[in-house]
Amino acid sequence: MLEGVPIISIIILMPLIGALITFGLGRYGRYARYVALAFSLVALVLSALVAFVFVVEPDSSSPGYHDGGGFFDYQFYEEHTWIEALGIRYIVGLDGISLPLFVLTTLLSTLSIVFSWDTKLRPKEYFGLMLVLEVGVLGVFTTLDYFVFYVFWEVVLIPMYFMIGVWGGPNKDYAAIKFFIYTHIASLALLIAIMAMYFQAGANSFGMEDIWRAGQTEFARMFQIGVFAAAFFGFGVKLPMVPFHTWLPDAHVEAPTAGSVLLAGLLLKMGGYGIIRVAIPTLPLGADALQLVMAVIAIASILYGAMLCLAQKDLKKLVAYSSISHMGFVLLGYATFTQLGVTAGVFQMFAHGLVTAVLFMMCGVVQHHCGTRIIQSLGGLSKKMPSAATMLTIGFLASLGLPGLVSFAAEFMVFVSMYETWGLWLLLPILSVAITAGYYLWALQRSMFGPLTKEIDTSDVHDIDWFEGVPVVVLIALIAIFGVFPLLLFQYIDPAAVTVINLLGLPGGG
Amino acid sequence: MLEYAWLIPVFPFIAFILIALLPKRTLGWEDGCGYGIAGAAGAFALSALVVWEVINGRTLLPEDAPRFTWLIIGDISVTFGIWIDELTALMLVVVSVVGTLVVIYSAGYMHQEGVTRRRYYAEIMLFISVMYGLVLADNYIEMFIFWELVGLCSYLLIGFWYERPSAASAAKRAFIVTRVGDIMFMAGIIILLKYVGTLDFVTLFDEGGTQAVPADMMTLATALIFGGAIGKSAQFPLHEWLPDAMEGPTTVSALIHAATMVKAGVYLTARSYPLLVQSPESLMLVAVIGGVTALLAATCALAANDIKRVLAYSTISQLGYMILGLGAGGYLVIEASNPNGYTAATFHLINHAIFKALLFLCAGSVIHSIGTNDMRLMGGLHKKMRITSITMLIGALAIAGLPPLSGFWSKDEVLAAVWHAGEFDWTFTLLWVMGIVTAFMTAFYMFRMWFMTFAGEQRSDFHAHESPKTMTVPLMILAALAMGSGFALFIGDGFKTFMEGSIHGLLQGVHHESPMDVAVEIFTDPLTYVSLVLAIAGILVAYRLYCMPGFDRSVFAKGFPGKVQRALENRWYISQFYDDFAYKIWYGFSLVADAFDRYVIDGVVNGFAYLGANTGGKMRKAQTGNVQRYASLIVVGIIALLVFMLYVLPWGGW
Amino acid sequence: MINIEYWLIFSSLLFAIGAYGVLTRKNAIVVLMCIEIMLNAANVNLVAFSSYYTTLHPGLGADASGQVFALFSIAIAAAEVAVGLAILLEVYRRYQTIDVDKINILRW
Repeated sequence: MLEGVPIISIIILMPLIGALITFGLGRYGRYARYVALAFSLVALVLSALVAFVFVVEPDSSSPGYHDGGGFFDYQFYEEHTWIEALGIRYIVGLDGISLPLFVLTTLLSTLSIVFSWDTKLRPKEYFGLMLVLEVGVLGVFTTLDYFVFYVFWEVVLIPMYFMIGVWGGPNKDYAAIKFFIYTHIASLALLIAIMAMYFQAGANSFGMEDIWRAGQTEFARMFQIGVFAAAFFGFGVKLPMVPFHTWLPDAHVEAPTAGSVLLAGLLLKMGGYGIIRVAIPTLPLGADALQLVMAVIAIASILYGAMLCLAQKDLKKLVAYSSISHMGFVLLGYATFTQLGVTAGVFQMFAHGLVTAVLFMMCGVVQHHCGTRIIQSLGGLSKKMPSAATMLTIGFLASLGLPGLVSFAAEFMVFVSMYETWGLWLLLPILSVAITAGYYLWALQRSMFGPLTKEIDTSDVHDIDWFEGVPVVVLIALIAIFGVFPLLLFQYIDPAAVTVINLLGLPGGG
Repeated sequence: MLEYAWLIPVFPFIAFILIALLPKRTLGWEDGCGYGIAGAAGAFALSALVVWEVINGRTLLPEDAPRFTWLIIGDISVTFGIWIDELTALMLVVVSVVGTLVVIYSAGYMHQEGVTRRRYYAEIMLFISVMYGLVLADNYIEMFIFWELVGLCSYLLIGFWYERPSAASAAKRAFIVTRVGDIMFMAGIIILLKYVGTLDFVTLFDEGGTQAVPADMMTLATALIFGGAIGKSAQFPLHEWLPDAMEGPTTVSALIHAATMVKAGVYLTARSYPLLVQSPESLMLVAVIGGVTALLAATCALAANDIKRVLAYSTISQLGYMILGLGAGGYLVIEASNPNGYTAATFHLINHAIFKALLFLCAGSVIHSIGTNDMRLMGGLHKKMRITSITMLIGALAIAGLPPLSGFWSKDEVLAAVWHAGEFDWTFTLLWVMGIVTAFMTAFYMFRMWFMTFAGEQRSDFHAHESPKTMTVPLMILAALAMGSGFALFIGDGFKTFMEGSIHGLLQGVHHESPMDVAVEIFTDPLTYVSLVLAIAGILVAYRLYCMPGFDRSVFAKGFPGKVQRALENRWYISQFYDDFAYKIWYGFSLVADAFDRYVIDGVVNGFAYLGANTGGKMRKAQTGNVQRYASLIVVGIIALLVFMLYVLPWGGW
Repeated sequence: MINIEYWLIFSSLLFAIGAYGVLTRKNAIVVLMCIEIMLNAANVNLVAFSSYYTTLHPGLGADASGQVFALFSIAIAAAEVAVGLAILLEVYRRYQTIDVDKINILRW
């Protein structure tokens, strides 16, 4: 099945065609949502098919198998030359690290489109941009050529900029420009790193695998440290890591709900993906030298993000800061340089994608139905919107790492690997488990429980609408399934994580 | 048979799914209570079969247990299975009996709650299900997962009446405080995982497992695991959540916060015995925490006026007894290969579960009838509520430790074990004194409660009535059990021999005590009479102070007694300290962090942006609009570039 | 045949004169004329190099592309003048002046 079918290119093309059609709808703009849903749904179904066909332990008979020769082994591999003189090729493929994120992307895009079903303001452009965003993120997660990778990386910024800037909240201009410039500066650091690797490798190829192979002999230790620092900065801002995180709360607070879902669910994952796909494997000596820096930043992000959550007055800002804290776990898992930690880090990205999508959607519901997200003005909403309150509670519980839901497995494994690498320093990040419970439950208590608020007019507050409820229910079901059966996903990630660890052990030349 | 024990939690879980997801019309009797009783009864029946098998000497071999693979990463694999031994059977009895009776009782107690009962029954069923899971777990991760899930159910049920701010706050508090304990638990098992490579009990409790961990790490790991027990079983210093948890419905208090979930900490400590006995330091910690908690909570119960809070503090205090018994018992196991402490503590566990559930359900009956928790507004209820009054009296006598009720046997055993441990370390003698003082206080406050509630004159305007059959029948069953469960010591080979089975591997040389020996030992030991006399004294003092007319209790309001009274009423200010810590220090710290984030970190970012914009603003003044000036600059630039390339670069050697 | 240096010196002078005029004169028409002078300096260079091609690169054969380029350049210069004068006319119509110092809207 799927032998010789360029399935990944087809999946990437789906939303692109959808976007072109959506933009071109002209005065039939009100049908944009149907078009967008149809194309994103097709992409989702196809990507689910890919996940189904994907082989956990592939051999040469697996569809589109490509042996990385020490580098990552890909499936569904496609390769076409684009600009021969510069060694730029269009290469796509999937492995255990990118597969979960790939499926997550199509899933969250589709659900976001459903969630924004009643968008009235310029629907053509809105849904079109969402599809463009999907294209960009899918490209980032699949491409194996630095040049194309960077192109997709930048493509993602633009729709998000417009989504914040056009459909955003009251302070949208500031947030949009801050988001754009901040992450763009990070992209420049990444570009410098890519160019440095390209020229130093001298292989006349932007292919990740070629550069890695050349780099084993060409990249000296100091070079690796410098380039790793640049790449780590580039990816880390996206992650985001403390202290380069302040664009995130602003962007989230102003972004429309679907924008926040995609921003937190997918864009942050690009940073985490880049670190594990690009920075660590290609520059093992640099990673090794900066291991402690990564760990310190990760722990700082976890604890500092959690502390900031406690002080937030806006529900959505709270969720935004919690993302910083939870993405810290991803970095911490990577920084341990253990198979367990890397696997858990990738799994945490997937888990966080699901959970944070639920949380942002529920913030959107609260905003939509009550007209405000300020926690003090809310209160007692359980009476008015019991289903919404239940879903918000489940989302919070999932986010605080309740066993049986998806985040627990990831966080637990990160802690285990942390202990293996740094011993009792474990007690620092593990503290966040209590703080996280604290801020979520406190927020829950103030917004959903207690007597009904008098500060806002609650007479026409009604329970969740179908187009909001359906995506959330789907996500919650997935959260529960992967919480109970994490092995479903771990089995894919694990071999790729082994590759990462092996790559770290290889002599890096110099 | 035993390999099907994993089906036990499935029954209530199915009930939970049905109640949660079925359409409203099909919920049936009492909005789902029928499904609840069915689920609980199914689990009860299966548990009974399992317990019967265990009593007949069969335990589940690990290789026969069905296994479910949760995770495999590299050389770490986490599989879930079931573990059945005597200790499991004991907990199964507790959970199945109390669980089933509480669900039946709820039909009456929650009758006027209307549609929200559906949520109630769903959550109760989820709780019972995960509690069985916790009991049956055969490794620490599985246990930890269910451990957290029972915490979640506790959170949801404490906050059942969420529109009351106090309930919402108490729920949050319970969850967070127990989570502090859970963190320690998690850290503890992570340490074990590193050294042993697996968390399955069968490997971990084996010779190879316990020897793989260095001694100091073992102490740390066991102390941290015990930290989980401190949180869940509400031991000092994490005990303050339990009295607050009384905001939930009384049935919840009876089931979760008296009989089952809070026992999980004791269960964990008992389960970890093979590890704990490797580390005398941890055992000492266990014993001291238990003893201090027992005494501290008993003092708080002396002055509480809320009937449920008295019971809550009493629960903490009795849990302290069990923990103390386990700590002392560990020393006995190490030094004398004597399982008495262990058996005594586990015996107290089951007895306490029964009589404390009874007491809570009686209190629930009273609250259901007159609609208040405040004992100062009660009085004279004995005439109106005979069954409740008598069953509660039985419960009070049992907890006070009067023979032949259950509390007498087990409490006496615990204290005896602590006394014997005193031979090996003087601290235990001190702890024994604390325990004996606690015994006196227990008798006093329980009867203070009973007298204030049922004796004397009616002190406020209410119309009391006896509760319906669904409530009184469980009370009578529990009362009968509370009277009879103490005799488990003497049935067959006796309870002690039975419980020894679960720590068999730790004892060198088997010394079976026949039931007769146990009885003789109890009744010839002078210490038995000391505690008995103290218990009776406690009851008499309570009678003098709270039932006999003519005693002026206003002496407690003035001078030094007044100060003590206020300190007790404010729970030694511990609760207040936590509130201040959370709201002032911790929240204040987070506000500082927020300001730091906003003004310093983001300030730097915005500062850079401003710097860029500002420099640009200055620089653009250079654009005069005069084309000829631009052209001149171009010419100058070209000339400079030429000079640089033709003269400077060659001069530099390029 | 005179040395190519003379042609080059001549064209350099021409270019310098033109550049001086562009930079200093106020009248836009004169500026335009000076630009033409600079262009023609370039043309002189092209033609000069072209005619000395065989002398400078013996053995490569004749090549007239320099002269062709000069012709191109002249044609383009003519077009450019047309456009430039049209712009100047428009500028004059709007501002009533063609003094380049006065026309300074091209600024911040």
